[in-house]
Amino acid sequence: GTEIRSCKDSNFLFTGPLERRIKQIAAHHGLNEVSPDVVALVSHGTEERIKNLVERLGIIAEHRLENVKN
Amino acid sequence: SVSDRLGPVSGSDVDKVLNKQRLQDLVREVDPNEQLDEDVEELLLQIADDFIENVVTSSCLLAKHRRSSTLDVKDVQLTLEKNWNMWIPGFGVEERP
Repeated sequence: GTEIRSCKDSNFLFTGPLERRIKQIAAHHGLNEVSPDVVALVSHGTEERIKNLVERLGIIAEHRLENVKN
Repeated sequence: SVSDRLGPVSGSDVDKVLNKQRLQDLVREVDPNEQLDEDVEELLLQIADDFIENVVTSSCLLAKHRRSSTLDVKDVQLTLEKNWNMWIPGFGVEERP
């Protein structure tokens, strides 16, 4: 069913939808169980990935603006 | 921090793992002066989706390889480290693979 959370969500990604997505992929591969910490770990990994991209985008955008100024 | 935010689960957000609000919170955390164009936001949401799909699928293959029926933290850790050069501490596996 749908999980409605009113409490603090400690993950970057929304836990309910992420858990459903992970279980769906796992089931597709014939895995019927997912360890509880997997959801938090995938969330952290995704946060790192996006953070890293945003940092690099910032540097690239700055560089582009410098070129315009000159 | 971003991770302390409330999780808005309303209407169209029910099946989304991430929304623009959280993405913007993360961007502010990285650089308070940085702003993303809307199409860049869309792209980052897509990249997040693809990343999850990719990591979870590779992790499932590792779980199957060790003949387990459970997707475990160590499968995801190994995938993040080997495929993405990422080590996220605090998930119970003491020694690095």
